[in-house]
Amino acid sequence: MLLQVEKISKSFGGVQALVDFSLSMKDPTIIGIIGPNGAGKTTLFNVISGVYPPDDGGKIHVNGQDVCGKDQFLITRAGIARTFQNIRLFKGLSVLENVMCAFDPTSKYGIVGGLLPTSRRIKEEKLGRQLSEHYLDLVELTKYRDEKPENLAYGLQRRLEIARALACKPKVLLLDEPAAGLNPREVSDLMGLIKKLNEDLGIGILVIEHRLELVMGLSKQIYVLDFGHTIAVGSPCEIKTNPEVIRAYLGEEECVR
Amino acid sequence: MEAYLSVLTFALISVVSVCGIYVLTGLTGMFSLGQAAFMAIGAYISGMLVVRLNMPFALAAIIAVAGSMLIGFIVGLPTVRLRRDYISLVTLGFGEAITALLNQSVQVTGGAMGFSGIPQKTNFTLVVVSVIVSVALVGFLKVSKYGRQCIALKSDELAAKAMGINVPRMKMIAFLISVGMTAYSGVLYAFYTTYVDPSMFGWRKSAEWVIMVFFGGVNSLTGSIVATLILSALPEMLRFASEYRMFFYSVLVLLIINFKPSGLFGEFELSPSHISKLFKRGHKNGAVNVAASGKDQ
Repeated sequence: MLLQVEKISKSFGGVQALVDFSLSMKDPTIIGIIGPNGAGKTTLFNVISGVYPPDDGGKIHVNGQDVCGKDQFLITRAGIARTFQNIRLFKGLSVLENVMCAFDPTSKYGIVGGLLPTSRRIKEEKLGRQLSEHYLDLVELTKYRDEKPENLAYGLQRRLEIARALACKPKVLLLDEPAAGLNPREVSDLMGLIKKLNEDLGIGILVIEHRLELVMGLSKQIYVLDFGHTIAVGSPCEIKTNPEVIRAYLGEEECVR
Repeated sequence: MEAYLSVLTFALISVVSVCGIYVLTGLTGMFSLGQAAFMAIGAYISGMLVVRLNMPFALAAIIAVAGSMLIGFIVGLPTVRLRRDYISLVTLGFGEAITALLNQSVQVTGGAMGFSGIPQKTNFTLVVVSVIVSVALVGFLKVSKYGRQCIALKSDELAAKAMGINVPRMKMIAFLISVGMTAYSGVLYAFYTTYVDPSMFGWRKSAEWVIMVFFGGVNSLTGSIVATLILSALPEMLRFASEYRMFFYSVLVLLIINFKPSGLFGEFELSPSHISKLFKRGHKNGAVNVAASGKDQ
């Protein structure tokens, strides 16, 4: 079992942002999570990745390991990596260094190697650099490796976030609105990339997205949230025809646009 | 000549502590307003070990640095899990407590009269070697995985945690390296002046170091070092202007911070390849070149 989430809830004061959410992913597949704004989608990601602990009574297992309420960095090391809805790249580091940073916590040299160029450090740094270059290559950012991330176009920054998350060597990748602000062409490139990560690298993917063409086109299974409650689970076809979903999500989407 | 050498020696001793401040403030984005207290601890521990226990200088220096780091660990422990600004409050309180303690325990430390009779062991050579070693260590640290993780957590703590970085541990490492270097500069200081008193190590000293780092460029080790040399020597050089010298000093700092918020050097780092270029082009051109490339994007 790659990821098992059982009955997790999260409330902030009196507001129940997430109620009894359960999800399980056995093999690496792509699961889409949709819902109107404020449905609790990002809260779900924040709880799974450990930004804040869930309310008592829930269970989160990553790759068979109980991570419920653990520190964020331990959850990442257990196999969960994520991107952010509002891009959060590291300013002050180059594009390549941003990716290396995610590999660094598991890099095997100590503080002596931090202060002096020991042979072990040189070896590990080389390894980290090669791995990071590989991930940059995967998202086609190699030619920007020495740029500052804030100078990249929006779509490229989104891809850099994915490359950085991959350097954590995740079992499950959480993508929070990866297509927000991308043009149609970039969206189709992104869909190709997500598919590749899932099929070639065997990474399980949870994706929150408002762009329905992406969610419907990629997901094997879709969860629909509304006010923290799971109102529907099913294949893209089932979701499209579910009257509850149309009322809560698609209908509202029409009104907003 | 003697006077200039002494000004230079004090400036270089400051460079050692500012290297530590650079790791803390420049790389990790933490502010310590009590860092000078660790300089005091280094100075007093080493001084007393040598004077009272006749310990050899080198051993006393090692014990002083290790002891300061142990105290630093205890001070840092409650703060590294909190937001970064808390460390400035905790260190400010700690620093003032240390100077008060040194003032009060007259029998042990000599109180406000100071602690004198320390043999002069620090010479110019030792200071220069110490500076080279400190700068090299911090330079290597900056481009290591530790440096990258520190810069990452300075830029975005939440994202850093999400990338698997153990943020509290990384902050502690940066803080301890900083404490170690400051304490060592205290050792050099005590054994150069042969006399220390608590008033030298108040929060003003700590604030001065933070100003130096920002003056030179918070993202540039080169900048911090150059700024330290300029700002430590400046008050001495301006002695002829007597009362006005602090005025000039402050105006200069304000001008730089206002018109070049990223500091003198921005993100520029002097690397061995720059130095070889400098020698090829001759000194004057080279200096202009460095200044030009020092401008941020």
